Amino acid sequence: MLEGGKISSRQATFLMITLIFATVILFVPGVTAKHAGQDAWISIILAIGAGLLIARLVTALGLRFPDKTIFEYPGEILGRWPGKLVGLIYIWWFLHGNGEIIRQYGELMTTAFMPDTPIIVFHLAVVAMAAYAVRNGLEVFTRANEIFLPLMLGSIIILFIFSINNMDFSRLLPVLDAEAADIVKGAVAPLFWFGQIAAITTVIPYLNKPREAHRVAVVTVLVTGCFFLLAVVGVLVIFGPHHPATYIFPVLNGARIISIANILERLEPVIMAIWIAGGFVKISIFYWAAALGIAQVLELKDYRPLVLPIGAVLVAMSILLHPNIIDLTVSVGRVWPVYGLSVFEVGTPLLLLVTAMVRGKGDKRD
Amino acid sequence: MNKKAAFLFLIILPLIILGGCWSRREINELAIVLGAGVDRAPDNKIRITLQLARPSAFGGGAEAGGGSAPKQNIVWVVSETGNTVLEAERNLVLKVSRHIHWGHEIILVIGEEVAREGVRDVSNFFIRNPQTRETMWLLVAKGEAGKVLESHSELEKTSSQSVGFLSRHKAGFSIMLKDFQMALASRGTNPAAPRVEVQKLGQPQGPGMEEKLQHREVAITGTGVFKDDKLVGWLDTSETRGMLWLLGEVKKGIITIPSPGQPDKLVSLNIIRADTRVVPEYDGETIRFNVKMTLQGELLEQQSTEDLTKPEKIEAVEMAAARDVFMKSTATLEKAQGEYGTDIFNFGEAFHRKYKKDWKKIKDRWNEEFVNAEVNIAVEAHLRRTGLLSKRASVKR
Repeated sequence: MLEGGKISSRQATFLMITLIFATVILFVPGVTAKHAGQDAWISIILAIGAGLLIARLVTALGLRFPDKTIFEYPGEILGRWPGKLVGLIYIWWFLHGNGEIIRQYGELMTTAFMPDTPIIVFHLAVVAMAAYAVRNGLEVFTRANEIFLPLMLGSIIILFIFSINNMDFSRLLPVLDAEAADIVKGAVAPLFWFGQIAAITTVIPYLNKPREAHRVAVVTVLVTGCFFLLAVVGVLVIFGPHHPATYIFPVLNGARIISIANILERLEPVIMAIWIAGGFVKISIFYWAAALGIAQVLELKDYRPLVLPIGAVLVAMSILLHPNIIDLTVSVGRVWPVYGLSVFEVGTPLLLLVTAMVRGKGDKRD
Repeated sequence: MNKKAAFLFLIILPLIILGGCWSRREINELAIVLGAGVDRAPDNKIRITLQLARPSAFGGGAEAGGGSAPKQNIVWVVSETGNTVLEAERNLVLKVSRHIHWGHEIILVIGEEVAREGVRDVSNFFIRNPQTRETMWLLVAKGEAGKVLESHSELEKTSSQSVGFLSRHKAGFSIMLKDFQMALASRGTNPAAPRVEVQKLGQPQGPGMEEKLQHREVAITGTGVFKDDKLVGWLDTSETRGMLWLLGEVKKGIITIPSPGQPDKLVSLNIIRADTRVVPEYDGETIRFNVKMTLQGELLEQQSTEDLTKPEKIEAVEMAAARDVFMKSTATLEKAQGEYGTDIFNFGEAFHRKYKKDWKKIKDRWNEEFVNAEVNIAVEAHLRRTGLLSKRASVKR
């Protein structure tokens, strides 16, 4: 066993919620509002619905092989070498995806808070921390996340309540002002984020009760969806349909204008805290999955020696991926949703599940 | 032992790197901007005027004034030109010894000339820069914005703070930068911003005060009306009340009307609560807006000596109050529809909410449609209380 840790269903749910929520509140509200305007919330609800299907798909696949990860069972389904190829595809997801996450983490910090600091400083700091967490295994960052997540979600609720005097719910009217096609387009980016629940396929074998994976995935998508909906509706009723599409971080702008009795002001560090804690956990999960994946695909005895080299790759990647923030937002808004959904979140799992069913591989209880 | 030493080193290391020395700026290295003004300079340049706080003068010393110690200036007002706002700010670096910090800016004053040419050219910096706040108050100066910032305040420490408080109390119309920008982004409305002027307020008190520049204070004297991003004209304070009524933003205020039995004497009502509802109606040809305003007031002053404690008198007062609100809002509406031809009352937004399909056809020429729209204003006034008195106390019976 490469990874000796075991986590409970509740811990896994928390972990997956952070995995999705930590980055979805950054760029996605702006991307969705760009397409759907004040109907962005309908897009989100559509995305939650479709996200539940993805959750069902990936857990159905994972539970056919409850003691194996997605790096191992493709070998059983497709044969040794094609299976290794699928494993490599997923390793690539966890590496490339993590590069993007780290870059988003750095861009928020440099754009909004510390414009004079070179972005690589933030990347180095968070990757160093994540490397330490990953070396210590799944249980370590899972437990850290149990402390962070309630604070993150609680802060979102508090920020929403504090913003109420900036809100005007008539800004959501008229409902269905956008074209149906635009509302669906707006749903793609959030669906990609909800679809990241596919990462649960790396965690299922380390659950105390793998059979509860279905519930973990569904609860994750629902809870994340509700909190994201809260954030998006908040942004829409504060800024109306036009502005969120022009902001790079609309939720941050929402927090910036909070002013309660001229005393409670400038609450954007709360957003920074949410992002630092959540971003750290998310980066750790992807980092750990990549290390574990490489070890499993190459059939190594331990993944720990891989941690530092992967960290170096991640930092380099995070800098080299995008020349500027516009490139990053285009990639997050247009490229990744299509690329991620079609390859990692729906395409490959569906292919694997169908093949497994046809060939009768794995546990057929589901 | 080696491991222990390494750990110790790792623990001490964060002390050095997390101390935040990277781009730290102590408060005594900052020039804090309280208010900024934007004017047009020759050669199509922009002149920005900054009201910078002088932290040393903010200490107790200034309070002691009154003759003995010379009163220090609490702000420093500097201006510089450039092709853009940011360029002008950079040019100021040659004059200002400290780092210009925008994080506490309270007001942004747009000079009349720039406002007439268009606000979009100059407002972007203030919403794009992470340091400035979207919640700063936006005002339009009658004349030059720089002159407004050169004023003083007797009650507050700086005139920027004074204007900030005036705006926050919403006695007149006031608008934050973010709301102004939202109005600019919408096709269904046009922005408006309060007009500020420097006035001589109050009399010099005590010896040695006459020659000082004090008592030149900023006052809100009306509202600037925009068509898209260009200033097209002004509303005076009474028309501003009408505008607030049409916008549904009346929070408080008074209504003065002739006393029902003695028309040459007046009574004043204090508004407790007010509400405006705009219901658009569209039959394919004419656009109609039914505006229903309700207000609840209390009678707080009576010049006349008649007995107002009869239900029919109260009714007459209510009628007169409603008529007053009706007249004020009609006057503003006529000015907006006739003279300026611009919808500053969010009527287009209201229309959009109800008729989203028809809106798509007319949204590009909303201001023209608005000019021809029919607006029916109905006001309902309720007099709820009469203060501590029922009849007048000082009348011989």
